[in-house]
Amino acid sequence: MEIESLLNSLDTSGHYGHVLSVEESQVLYNSLLILQNENHFRKIFFWGKIFGCDKDYYIAYGYKQDALHGRIYYYGMDCNTWGLLPRPTPNGIQLTPLASTKFIGDPSLVIDILIEKDETSIPGKRKQPQVKQLKEEDRLSSTVHLIMNQVSLVPRGAWFKRPDGVIIDNISFEGLSTLDAREIKSFLHARIPTQKINTNLLTRDDYNYATDFLDPLDFDIPEGCWVIQITPAEDMVILKSLYWPGFIFYHYLRTPKHGFIYLGHGKKSMDLTFMLCPFFTSNT
Amino acid sequence: MITDITDYDVTHEDAGPLGNQIPNYEKEFNSAKVFLQTASSATGDNLYDHLTEVLNKILAERPENVIDFFEEYSRKVKEQRFKPLTDHLEDIYVQPGRFSLANKILPILSPLPPGEPSTVDPEDLELADMSNNNLIELLYYLEQCGIGLPRSEMIFVMISMRNLVHTKPIASIRFWGKIFGTISNYLVVETMLKEEEYMKRNENYQEEQAPVEVQDEMALNRGEAGETSAALLEIEKRAGMGGEEGSSKYPRPLPPEPLIHYEELPEPPPEPSGVGVNKKVFYVCNDIGESWTELPDVTPKQIRTARQIYKSFTGDLEAEIQSYPEFPGKEKEYLRVQIARISAGTQIAPLGYFTFGGAELGEGGEEEDEFEEAAGGASKTHYSINPRYDPPPLTDLLDQSMSFWVHTEPYILPQGRTTWWNPNPMPDLGEEPGEGYGEEEEEVKPRGERVEPETGPPLLTPLSEDAVLETVPPWSVRVSSKILEGFALAVVRSNIWPGAYCFSNQGKVFRNVYLGFGHKYVEHNFSPLPLPAVQQEYPIGPEILEILDPTGAEEEQWRIDHLPKPKVIPVGEEAEGEEEQEEEEEEEDED
Repeated sequence: MEIESLLNSLDTSGHYGHVLSVEESQVLYNSLLILQNENHFRKIFFWGKIFGCDKDYYIAYGYKQDALHGRIYYYGMDCNTWGLLPRPTPNGIQLTPLASTKFIGDPSLVIDILIEKDETSIPGKRKQPQVKQLKEEDRLSSTVHLIMNQVSLVPRGAWFKRPDGVIIDNISFEGLSTLDAREIKSFLHARIPTQKINTNLLTRDDYNYATDFLDPLDFDIPEGCWVIQITPAEDMVILKSLYWPGFIFYHYLRTPKHGFIYLGHGKKSMDLTFMLCPFFTSNT
Repeated sequence: MITDITDYDVTHEDAGPLGNQIPNYEKEFNSAKVFLQTASSATGDNLYDHLTEVLNKILAERPENVIDFFEEYSRKVKEQRFKPLTDHLEDIYVQPGRFSLANKILPILSPLPPGEPSTVDPEDLELADMSNNNLIELLYYLEQCGIGLPRSEMIFVMISMRNLVHTKPIASIRFWGKIFGTISNYLVVETMLKEEEYMKRNENYQEEQAPVEVQDEMALNRGEAGETSAALLEIEKRAGMGGEEGSSKYPRPLPPEPLIHYEELPEPPPEPSGVGVNKKVFYVCNDIGESWTELPDVTPKQIRTARQIYKSFTGDLEAEIQSYPEFPGKEKEYLRVQIARISAGTQIAPLGYFTFGGAELGEGGEEEDEFEEAAGGASKTHYSINPRYDPPPLTDLLDQSMSFWVHTEPYILPQGRTTWWNPNPMPDLGEEPGEGYGEEEEEVKPRGERVEPETGPPLLTPLSEDAVLETVPPWSVRVSSKILEGFALAVVRSNIWPGAYCFSNQGKVFRNVYLGFGHKYVEHNFSPLPLPAVQQEYPIGPEILEILDPTGAEEEQWRIDHLPKPKVIPVGEEAEGEEEQEEEEEEEDED
């Protein structure tokens, strides 16, 4: 969420019931401006909050040039002081999905993670269950990385790839229409594309090289893992991910305003297959 | 661009015989313009007009770093031009999306029509007290706690609550929260109906309930009997057919009829309206401007099933719940159960705000329990506001041990009721996992003849007594402001039911609210109930066992062993016939 939206989060993330409190938003707005200035960021965003048992983590990121590749993350325990979030380590990314406990709120805490003998997500053969250690700071950074990779998104056309490959905000983006907003293909994963360029382009009739370089959301399985809701006044579209409860994306229709925020416990819901109706029919 | 062309032309003409002549700018300009104005053979457009339009647009809008988006601008101008000139649809007025909403909401956004001047004293009208339902004030607090719903929604809920109070027999009303679904969401209000209404409902309920149970049983028995007799007939028919085909000399006796070993556990009766889990009545609506629907009362079976399934809400009250074990009801029943479970687990109050018994007696007094006769083991189901309540200081409310907060809703027993129902004389088969305040440690008690009454923590138990569920502390507490401590609120967040919050303003004002997906937190991922073991139909014996066919050699051996006393008749058909007979005899023996 851009810092301009911090002060009226009630109208955006309020659709998910969680907002930034009056004090938080004031402090964040000012401290993030200072952080932006210190780091010479072109733009700075508030990423969200991860609830811990004892304390909560606040996470922010900004970029200098490239909106996709150049993100730098910061985290803090109050809204005021910010520390650089380390890059996710391969070990952290492997172990984070196996960590079942809640975040505590102490970055230096080390937790033990049990790897079962027949765990398939981690390569290698084990003769007996193995215990590995994970620092909460690494877990935090991996969780942020996973969330960004799996659910962060932009409306189609909001990002523009310059001929030199740098990705910037599209200033001629006018926002999605109500009809487009009902279509899951109108939203793109804000991550380094995993599909081939021709897949992303050729699945559309009206493709555009400069905007359709990202993976659309309709490749995500199972169908129904995204919740698209348009407010009764039809002026805003809200997307929620059932994989990461707490993630909310908003976009004011017919305006370039969009953003997302994560306010949750930092745990992926793997129970989605049980939660959805077997014969899911999307809202048409 | 023009200068470029002229430069080129100058050098070119320098080489010519008229080198010293001043270049004819006008001519060059015209020739360049003519070139640019050449219409495309495909589209009929020309570059000159296009560039003019693009430059016009850019100069009019003056966007930043336009060079990076030049292509985009150029494309947009082209797209605009391709709109057909004779677009007859252009003039049609398209109603904006919010028009329908405005239509719906405008009647609500008006003061109530002045009713008939009633002779009844306003006191006797007994409208529910709305003074505690200032949702604008609630929102003011919620916003400080980091939760909240859009203001328009809150105002709508508040107004429509007022309308609800005037149309339904409601004694008290409260905004409960919001549950998010996949297609639409539910706004929930919690109400207590008037005594007469509860009594009326319970009369109907008893009338319905008593005969229904007997009928059920009878129907069940009849159904079973019918089924078995049909099955018997079928078997007989088959046996008869087989007898005709084969040797009718030896009619095979029928195998014993399979018995149903599964015994339906005695089902505890649901609690009547106004008691226990059905004490409150909930109304839900999907969105702003829609009408409220009352949710049905819950049955213990629904509660027990809901603990074993994990389904997301769709937003359609009539949607089917497709799950194993089968949920008895539709989404509205499931929603009601989840609301009951969440309420039981997360409705809390500061210590000392409520007290048992009459106000005069105070805490030491003997409680006068209205529902004593209904209650089996549990006591103290009634509490009232303590007149001598002394708000605990903020530091106490923020204490991590949570001993200054108490539960205000009765614990739901594993049976699915708040008061224990004795299923005597039938012995209980195992226990379901507990529910409510996070005490879902699965304690499987040995099967006993005498049923131990299930007990839960009594009402107004401090939160510090809550069981820790798999290393997750059940509650987290935060202070809403670190800067202005004098105005700070204590915010209590449930970790068992993510989305359940309670806040208190220095102990004076407190409210519970739930804003979430309606699911309990599962530490390790949810795993569905395994299917029961396959039931045994027949006693295991040689009749139904698969055995190897005898090999040729064995048959031969058998035949030789059973050869009749040597007779002169050559071994032929008769011997085989004998063998057949003997085999059949053996089969009979086995039977």
